[in-house]
Amino acid sequence: MKHAVLPALLALGLAAAPVTAAELTVVTAGDQNMVDYVNNYLAPLFEKQNPGDTVRAVGTGPGDAGSQKIIERFAAQAKAGSAAWDTDVAVAHEKFIGPMIKEGYLESYRDKIPTGKMVTRGNADMALGSPVKGYVMPMFNSQTAIAYNPALLPNPPKTYEEIAAWAKANPRQFGYNGIKGGASGVSFVMGWIYAFGEGDAQKLMNGPFDEAETKKWDKAFQSLKEFTANATLTPGNAGTLDMLSRGEIAMGPVWVDMFYSWQADGRLPPELKLFLPAPGMPGQPMHYVIPEKAANRDLAEKFVALATSPEVQADGIVKRFNWYPGIDAEFVKPKLDEATWNKLFIDIPPEDLAKYGKPFPISPYNNAILEAYERQAAQ
Amino acid sequence: MVSKKMLGLLLVLPALVMIGVFFILPLIASVIGAFETPEGAGLSNFVKARELYSEDILFSVLIVTLASLLIGFFAIAIGGYLTLGENPRAVAILRWLYRWPLFIPFIVVGQTLRTFLARNGLMNNMLVGSGLITPDQALSFLDWRGIVIAFVWKQTPFVALLVAGAMASIDRGTIEAARNLGASRPRILIEIVVPQVLVTLTVGLILSFVTMMSVLSVPLMINAQSPTMITADIAFRINAYGDYGVANALGFISLIITSTVAWLYLKLSVKERS
Repeated sequence: MKHAVLPALLALGLAAAPVTAAELTVVTAGDQNMVDYVNNYLAPLFEKQNPGDTVRAVGTGPGDAGSQKIIERFAAQAKAGSAAWDTDVAVAHEKFIGPMIKEGYLESYRDKIPTGKMVTRGNADMALGSPVKGYVMPMFNSQTAIAYNPALLPNPPKTYEEIAAWAKANPRQFGYNGIKGGASGVSFVMGWIYAFGEGDAQKLMNGPFDEAETKKWDKAFQSLKEFTANATLTPGNAGTLDMLSRGEIAMGPVWVDMFYSWQADGRLPPELKLFLPAPGMPGQPMHYVIPEKAANRDLAEKFVALATSPEVQADGIVKRFNWYPGIDAEFVKPKLDEATWNKLFIDIPPEDLAKYGKPFPISPYNNAILEAYERQAAQ
Repeated sequence: MVSKKMLGLLLVLPALVMIGVFFILPLIASVIGAFETPEGAGLSNFVKARELYSEDILFSVLIVTLASLLIGFFAIAIGGYLTLGENPRAVAILRWLYRWPLFIPFIVVGQTLRTFLARNGLMNNMLVGSGLITPDQALSFLDWRGIVIAFVWKQTPFVALLVAGAMASIDRGTIEAARNLGASRPRILIEIVVPQVLVTLTVGLILSFVTMMSVLSVPLMINAQSPTMITADIAFRINAYGDYGVANALGFISLIITSTVAWLYLKLSVKERS
């Protein structure tokens, strides 16, 4: 009896669904919060606007490894010659977008959707040296900055040089997590090379790769080694925040979204503040892309248009996750209450973000800097 | 007769296949990978590993050796008290307590100690609160000392369990005889008991050494900076550079260190059996 009922119910359910119903598959790299964001926030919104259609989110895991899995998934389907791919929308790190475009996996869709015009930041045109204009819509921008305790230093430094001088005068009060404990430390090191490397920082960000450029960092690493000997090394991104909250260090590089989320949860004292030093620190976007052969391409475009609309960027990206919006902040501002806007933009005003929010170096420089750090600054 | 032999082989076959496919094969692949370079087979991965990580390799060996020595000391102390202790209640409490860390994963140990050992963490707060040190004297133990503390805390019960078992099974007569002749308890422990359980103790320490060499979570949670343990470097080579070559080379070096120790273990266990 039991066996007969279930198929009957299923058949009924299938019959009742509208004929046009489609299941949109969204594959996302990143932590579980990315999958939750799609499932719990975007999917219900989208399903309400498109009755009958459903959204399914698939997570591929945190970090570059997650994006690596997405590109491998595309490669496998391209090789197999599949006509309709199993991914309609993918969310990937910028490092992987260039290779995806080169292989011809992606659709150029930015001009087709209404929110396309609202994107102004350069990292939606160039991703670590590869032209990606048209193929991506930024989901959000994350940024690193220096967190500090105003009780201990009312006038924080404004530049890398001032940070270095301050850290020298206040031994062990600056903390960062080196390069093996998470990307906030990596980002601080990249910023150090942008500031003190004798080469051209623009070249590191935009390419092309030139072996000679990697020889221009010796002095910068020498000073970084002295700086590090005078600083506190923290265990990881969270470790820096922990030490700040316990008052063990007065200053250190952090991810902005993590900083605000911790503050909202009460894990960081509300007095702590952020600044973005000149000449800048790196951050990175996550991008929405649509495969050329997505089974539901039109629906996928609709989905990304919704996800990058000012309302969703305001409520979902800024308010819930403390990320910077993917589209221009000016479009998002009217949709936000003042408190939320102030929280995200009062420490680091939009001008500073535009001036000092830098991309990471292109990947060969990125690796060369990390290895030079291991060779010259860590030993 | 032949079929019986075949049956026996068949019975162990699944286990053998499991070991072959999931253990030996990946091991061989990783060893071969250590010698694979973009220019063909060569030693460049090892050259790089030596250039960048020789300090970390030395550091790993020193840390794990120091931790092993401390574990040995504490295991003898615990086992000794369980065997020679005269206050039954204290013995019962110790017996109940000392095994707890056995059931706690390394990652949890790392996570707990990370807040416990910090400069303004629980330990220093207690010391400052009790007036033993002033806040300026408070030090962060989140460096090599933190790693050693984590290892010793986690591995001591394991060795103590083995050692206490061995101590319980030695001939009580030898202890009683020494006591009759007026030997103090520490002296009995060092001169009578420990020599009789030395093989078990060494085996326990060797197994701990190999275990500690392979722990990634503790260095990552407590101190992933330089110098750090080889495991953290292996993870970093793969995660940051996608460089399996140098990671495999480091794995190979770590394998040589542990197999040297494992060789000692085999020699000892053969001796024990004969």
